[in-house]
Amino acid sequence: MATKKRERLEVIRDMLTIVKDNRKIKPTRLLYGSNLSPQMFKEYIDELVNKKLVKLEVDEKEKKFFSLTKKGHDFLQEYKLIENFVENFGL
Amino acid sequence: MGLYSLILENKWALEILYALAISLICAVIVFKIDRFYRLSTHQGIRYFRNAFFFYGIAFIARYVLGFFSDISNNYLYAIQIIFEYFLVMAGFFLFYSLIWKKIELPKEHYKSSLFNMRIAIFHLMAIVIAVFDSLWHTYDFMFFSQIIIFIYAAMIAYSNYRRNGKQRMFLKFYFIAMALILVAWLLNLSAALFFQWHPFILINIGIINVAFFILFLYGVLKVTR
Repeated sequence: MATKKRERLEVIRDMLTIVKDNRKIKPTRLLYGSNLSPQMFKEYIDELVNKKLVKLEVDEKEKKFFSLTKKGHDFLQEYKLIENFVENFGL
Repeated sequence: MGLYSLILENKWALEILYALAISLICAVIVFKIDRFYRLSTHQGIRYFRNAFFFYGIAFIARYVLGFFSDISNNYLYAIQIIFEYFLVMAGFFLFYSLIWKKIELPKEHYKSSLFNMRIAIFHLMAIVIAVFDSLWHTYDFMFFSQIIIFIYAAMIAYSNYRRNGKQRMFLKFYFIAMALILVAWLLNLSAALFFQWHPFILINIGIINVAFFILFLYGVLKVTR
């Protein structure tokens, strides 16, 4: 049975993977790719930015993009281990 | 009985060694897990990390600071209160790491996992338990509190093992660890109530405690490798 918090970790992994695959991605494209409601998307993306897993950039045409930080890369690399740890310890 | 005699003859040195070994194990666990928490900010990892942080402090307080307990009675009482407070808090954190998902709301997130509205209840209970034990010159309040929470923890661990044990190898060892620590607390209570702190029982409790911490160290090292 999947737990609520495990789903949360999975959503974060999925969003970071989309950002990583695109290198730079517009908020609307990330919203569609993440399969979340706009409200949920805002909560998650705020969390990712606050935790410095992604950063928000603005180009010369005032367009916004998200890109992955080093911490975001580290998270994706360690995700399997973290998931494994949470499940093995019943957390 | 040769081994037990040897242990009893070198009681003080072994107690220090025992405390340092357990504190070192706790430090390794906290260090390893903290990296995971910082990356994921997963609350369960956070409470699990806190449990071993408090266990580490408790053992240092009891056996390293307690080594100088000849100084005065007040010092001895202070050490007992500190030791019990940290040990009880560690038990609460370990138990809470198993149940937090059922208690905390999805959007609930506290900046500090050591001091927040929910954890304040544990602090209050731990302080009351430690102070009551100190006032009545007993350990019974701590023993009963830990026996109750580890009965629940063992039941949850067994349920987790039954549900996902085939996919997740450590769930079996997690349940064994919970059963071991429950046995250790029951032996502690028996030693206090019925056996006048018989050294033979205390040595076995120490061995069980070491097994408990080594099991968790093994699990953390294996899973985080």
